[in-house]
Amino acid sequence: MELNTIKEAFDRVPKKQKLSSSKSQEIVEQIELEIEQALSRIQSIDDTASQTDHSLILGELKAKLKEITPLSQLEATQKELNVALSKYPKLLEKTFNPDISKAYRNVDFDIHTVNQIIASHFYREGQFDLGDCFVNEAAEPEAQAAKSSFSEMYQILEAMKLRNLEPALKWAACNHEQLKQNGSDIELKLHRLQFVEILQRKGRDEALKYARTFLTPFATSHMAEFQKLMGCLLWAGKLDSSPYSELLSPMHWDKLSEEVTRHFCNLIGQSFESPLSVTIAAGVQGLPTLLKLMNVMTGKKQEWQTMKQLPVPVDLDREFQFHSIFVCPVSRDQASEENPPMLLSCGHVLCKQSITKLSKNNSTRPFKCPYCPSEVEVGQCRQLFF
Amino acid sequence: MEMETDALPNGNSQASAGSAASTGTNEGALAIVAVGAVSAAPPSSQMNKLAESLKLEHQFLRVPFEHYKKTIRSNHRIVEKEVSAVISGVGEAADSTDLSHDDAVQHLSSLVSRLQGLKRKLEDGSKTEHLQAQRCKARLDHLESADSENISEWNSTRLKRILVDYMLRMSFYDTASKLAQDSNIQDLVDIEVFSEAKKVIDALQNKEVTPALAWCADNKSRLKKSKSKFEFQLRLQEFIELVRSENNVRAIAYARKYLAPWGATHMKELQRVMATLAFKSNTECPTYKVLFESKQWEYLAEQFKQEFCRLYGMTLEPLLNIYLQAGLSALKTPFCYEDDCTKEDPLSQESFRKLASPLPFSKQHHSKLVCYITKELMDTENPPLVLPNGYVYSTKAIEEMAKKNNGKITCPRTGLVCNYTDLVKAYIS
Repeated sequence: MELNTIKEAFDRVPKKQKLSSSKSQEIVEQIELEIEQALSRIQSIDDTASQTDHSLILGELKAKLKEITPLSQLEATQKELNVALSKYPKLLEKTFNPDISKAYRNVDFDIHTVNQIIASHFYREGQFDLGDCFVNEAAEPEAQAAKSSFSEMYQILEAMKLRNLEPALKWAACNHEQLKQNGSDIELKLHRLQFVEILQRKGRDEALKYARTFLTPFATSHMAEFQKLMGCLLWAGKLDSSPYSELLSPMHWDKLSEEVTRHFCNLIGQSFESPLSVTIAAGVQGLPTLLKLMNVMTGKKQEWQTMKQLPVPVDLDREFQFHSIFVCPVSRDQASEENPPMLLSCGHVLCKQSITKLSKNNSTRPFKCPYCPSEVEVGQCRQLFF
Repeated sequence: MEMETDALPNGNSQASAGSAASTGTNEGALAIVAVGAVSAAPPSSQMNKLAESLKLEHQFLRVPFEHYKKTIRSNHRIVEKEVSAVISGVGEAADSTDLSHDDAVQHLSSLVSRLQGLKRKLEDGSKTEHLQAQRCKARLDHLESADSENISEWNSTRLKRILVDYMLRMSFYDTASKLAQDSNIQDLVDIEVFSEAKKVIDALQNKEVTPALAWCADNKSRLKKSKSKFEFQLRLQEFIELVRSENNVRAIAYARKYLAPWGATHMKELQRVMATLAFKSNTECPTYKVLFESKQWEYLAEQFKQEFCRLYGMTLEPLLNIYLQAGLSALKTPFCYEDDCTKEDPLSQESFRKLASPLPFSKQHHSKLVCYITKELMDTENPPLVLPNGYVYSTKAIEEMAKKNNGKITCPRTGLVCNYTDLVKAYIS
């Protein structure tokens, strides 16, 4: 972001502030000097001297201090500083969006729900101490529910960081059926990595023993992979110079950690990304559009508070697209169960209601596709499922 | 193995790499319709999005600056006060006629040590000023550092900042400082600013107004500018407490001194509170009963938080709530509430659905189709293919399936088996 003008405006503040403080210091020192001089003059007067002497000196001191005009000097230095101090926030207001709560609906967010979401977020990010601290401070003991499953996940991942696959294998074995149902081959991937580790560290015999017990169940379903791994046995001790050296890449560990995370979250009914991160990121992308909308909706605040659907599209990045949304190019309506998308015989897709209108509700009379010269019949249109 | 192109949602870098090769077709609506164009959009549009999102960071720069400004002002006030005290001290001594010699010496010495004290204060003050200026700078640098290279790390820091803001506003100070410390973002969050608020809030929760009144006195001119009646509300509460303890004489004296000045602008409230003298704290009359309830103190604490936020240029709502609301609205579609909603959608979770329930649905002007199998967008590059039963999948997914199964396609949702050649292309505009 181009922040140079803002930075310049800011830099003027500490600059003027330093000028002003050194001026203040100067003034204070000057006053101090005058007083000290007067003091030493008074002290040097003989005690026996008359009273008028020291009051004379005091009178002179008073006049001198008046001459310095310290207060107006202080005020003068402050003036320039004040200009800089008021300019910078004005510039901020101009460059940035000064009130991002303008598009906020006055609905009460249930605090417990929000707290629960935050606690789960801390736990799923592996910040267990922080999560506990928060649950404690917010007095939300139920929010700790998410902790135990995520702590199991982090035990598995921590062990994997230390090149220990035991907890991961144990978890995969426990969830064998479900993983299979999801069409996941993560179990094979874990065993493969373990096999290569054993081959590297303990040699051929141990590796062969491991393969017999754990890899054979995959032999038929993953023939090519199985053969490749068996081929590795020939290169025991020099796998790094074999055609299979790629199996040693540390990248496999990183990739597998991510995959374990993905499947683990899936099995406990959670998303891979923290839902809080996703929602906030979507909010950051969507908010500028909403704020612009509020600018044109001034005076319609009430409408905004009760609106059932946003009046404008909020363009989010691809990663936030979780559902297929079909918008009829003719009516601009979003497809729904009552108004499903239909495939015309020419390959173009319209919503059912648009087709009904185009065909003038006559199912036998052909009509022209709005997007190509084809004549199509209602009877030949097929409903689509995205 | 590594040739597999993962259908991960974070495939952004891949997409932008692809866009460099393809000549950027930017033909208005077409570019928006073709969903691929969103990911293949020129990096400038990504940068534009980034710039738009940075514009939301007003509070991030404003708050430390207000804090800095406050320090500058109060330091200056100290100088002014001390200097004028010393000068009038000299004046008094000079004008007095019966000052003895020793008195004069002592008087001047005390003025000198007063000035020396001021010099020390000035030194400490400029240290604080320097630190606060550094903080303002650190924020500017942090904003400037956001670019496409470090964006995911930057975004994760932003979430942490938003969470610290939430913790501070909810008075979860331990979590706030722990989170800031663990992530080393102390300069990017306003813990110090809020520690000033903490004192006042704690006191109000203990039914104690003195720190709140001191805060009002400290910020008198600015509160007056924003026409705040917070001080009046504090005074009313103090008055109520006097009535509660049946200290009516003192209550009247208090009202004369502290409530009467507000009469011109807030007569109605003043009259209502004065009427409590006629009732007692155990009154059943609803108009007055409510004034004696202890939730008035909670209300004062809430009121204070609002005044405090306004003074520092913060939003009145926690940032977390603002972004959550915008995000939930942008993500909310009727499909989120279906049973087969993907787990990756935050709105598949009960807690998020609950928060989203009073919010509007998002709107789309153009179709955005996601392949059921690969979760990738179906666009001109990866067009949708229709099975004989009407189910639609992306070309990529179908071709892969056909390659693996000798041209046979199995519909994952219905189990229908058909040939690759039975499929037709759908044109989505």
